[in-house]
Amino acid sequence: MAIRAHDAVAGRDGIATVGSAQARPGRASLALRRERQLAYALLTPTLLVILFLVAYPFCAAIALSLQDKMVGSPGRWVGLANYLELFRDEVFLRTAWNSVVYTVVAVALKFVLGLTMALILDQERRFNNVFRTLLFVPWAVPVIIVALNWRWIFDDLSGFLNNFLITFHLSRDIISWLSDPSLAMGCVIAVVVWAGTPFYSMTFLAGLQAIPRELYEAAEIDGASIVQQFVYVTVPRLRTIFLTTVMLSTIWTATNLQFVFVLTRGGPASRTEIFPHLAYTTALGARRLGMGAAVSLVFFPVLAVLILLLTRRMLRPTDD
Amino acid sequence: MRSVSRTRRSLQWVGNTLLALMLVWTLVPFYWMIATSLKKDREIYGFEATLIPHQPTLANYARLFAKTPFILYLRNSTIIAVGTTIASLVFGTLGAYALARLRFPGRKVIARGLVFTYLVPPALLFIPLFAVMSTLRLVDTHQGLILTYLSFSVPFCTWLLMGYFRSVPLELEEAALVDGCTRLGSLVRVILPMSLPALAVVAFFAFTQSWNEFLYANVFVNSVEVRTVTTGLTLFIVEDVFFWGPMMAASFLSALPPLVIYLIFQRWVVKGLTLGAVKG
Repeated sequence: MAIRAHDAVAGRDGIATVGSAQARPGRASLALRRERQLAYALLTPTLLVILFLVAYPFCAAIALSLQDKMVGSPGRWVGLANYLELFRDEVFLRTAWNSVVYTVVAVALKFVLGLTMALILDQERRFNNVFRTLLFVPWAVPVIIVALNWRWIFDDLSGFLNNFLITFHLSRDIISWLSDPSLAMGCVIAVVVWAGTPFYSMTFLAGLQAIPRELYEAAEIDGASIVQQFVYVTVPRLRTIFLTTVMLSTIWTATNLQFVFVLTRGGPASRTEIFPHLAYTTALGARRLGMGAAVSLVFFPVLAVLILLLTRRMLRPTDD
Repeated sequence: MRSVSRTRRSLQWVGNTLLALMLVWTLVPFYWMIATSLKKDREIYGFEATLIPHQPTLANYARLFAKTPFILYLRNSTIIAVGTTIASLVFGTLGAYALARLRFPGRKVIARGLVFTYLVPPALLFIPLFAVMSTLRLVDTHQGLILTYLSFSVPFCTWLLMGYFRSVPLELEEAALVDGCTRLGSLVRVILPMSLPALAVVAFFAFTQSWNEFLYANVFVNSVEVRTVTTGLTLFIVEDVFFWGPMMAASFLSALPPLVIYLIFQRWVVKGLTLGAVKG
């Protein structure tokens, strides 16, 4: 350790040593100890937050999922009974399928629309910054308000959609957007896409603008078509941004219950039920805390893989 | 060559058309929100429903403030969002400085733990957190909600500031330390003044994330005295069936604070986002 510390003295990033102590190792190690104490002191609030508000609750969730605890009564250990019950439960199986469809379709649509939007905004045009600001606005609006607003747009009798379709004779009947079993999921996904696309276009646009123009010019001189330029210049340059954005968005899309909570409450007949909302209704509606924890944890293995990959990626530019 | 420039010109037209469509798709919901908030009930419901308000009125806004606790919700959201922002700035700055500039065992593990923590979704934590909050008697308090919000804002702030602090040239700080500045002194006098854009971005995220948060606010708060805007609004659906006028007025007003801040900080925010940031 002492030798490593001494190396650091010589090293360029050895600000630890600036205090003077080069000459005598005894003082150097004192300075190092001080530095260590200061570091832990500065990190104490952050570490407390991580331990008590994330690490402990996470372990408690696992423990809870192995009990039959209800709100207000002590639980008994039941082993994996909650999980086994889930996999025999028709509503849960449907929820699992819904969650996959919901997440995959929403993320795919956000990706395509977001990339299109970014490519358009990357073209040269007057007032482009005004358009960009306007197109990104949904990102800054609270999700709950987005969902409420769309619920009103989808309203059977007086909402904008039916109002518009009937005024312009595009439909003769009132369409029950959110309570029709075949339409509800599509409507929920449309809202998720509306709210989530700007995040994709923001990150993609930043990536596009970081590509040096010379690369395109060189490709053009070599006779590359527009499509070839996109495939061989743009896409490779954006690959890491694509991956990071999709992984982040997958975690957030899959675990966000607000859209379903406001738009459909999981209905009609569980057609739009997804696992975070099911966990919520199980734990707080049916008051089965243990079972609720089990529902929320069933999908954690998938999320954990994404989280681990992302953690490495998000630290890479600074930590390697 | 010529064909490429011709393709480019036609692509410009395709782009303009798609841009127009996307603007409509993005802006119509906002139009509908604002139009509804300005209509009389007669124009909102039933056979006389209109697409454009014929007799615009602010009656819905008046009703919102006179007949509902909306102003209380606004107050609570403000207290909680400002409290979270201040606490995350302070904790984030201190932690980020340690991670960026000091050497101590466990540095990498802690940095990794931070990012991991930030990515663990609230949907996994709210059930056991509810038990924690009850034991600590923090249910239905502003402090309690601020505390839970720190669980996502502190890790994020620390991580973002850590990256930024590392980009402040080491020589500047070395000079300050040689001149007899303490560590904390150099943090305050050298690093912070150079990190104002990053601090602004961090403050923006902490504020909007807490202002927009719904799940914890819904689970850990029952009383009107502490209820925030996001949960308060969802209750309007149940409380009164014919409430879309005031509801849209409330939605518009509640969306304003994050929207205005977004417009002010726009350029920095986009830069902060590309570091891998927030909300999908």
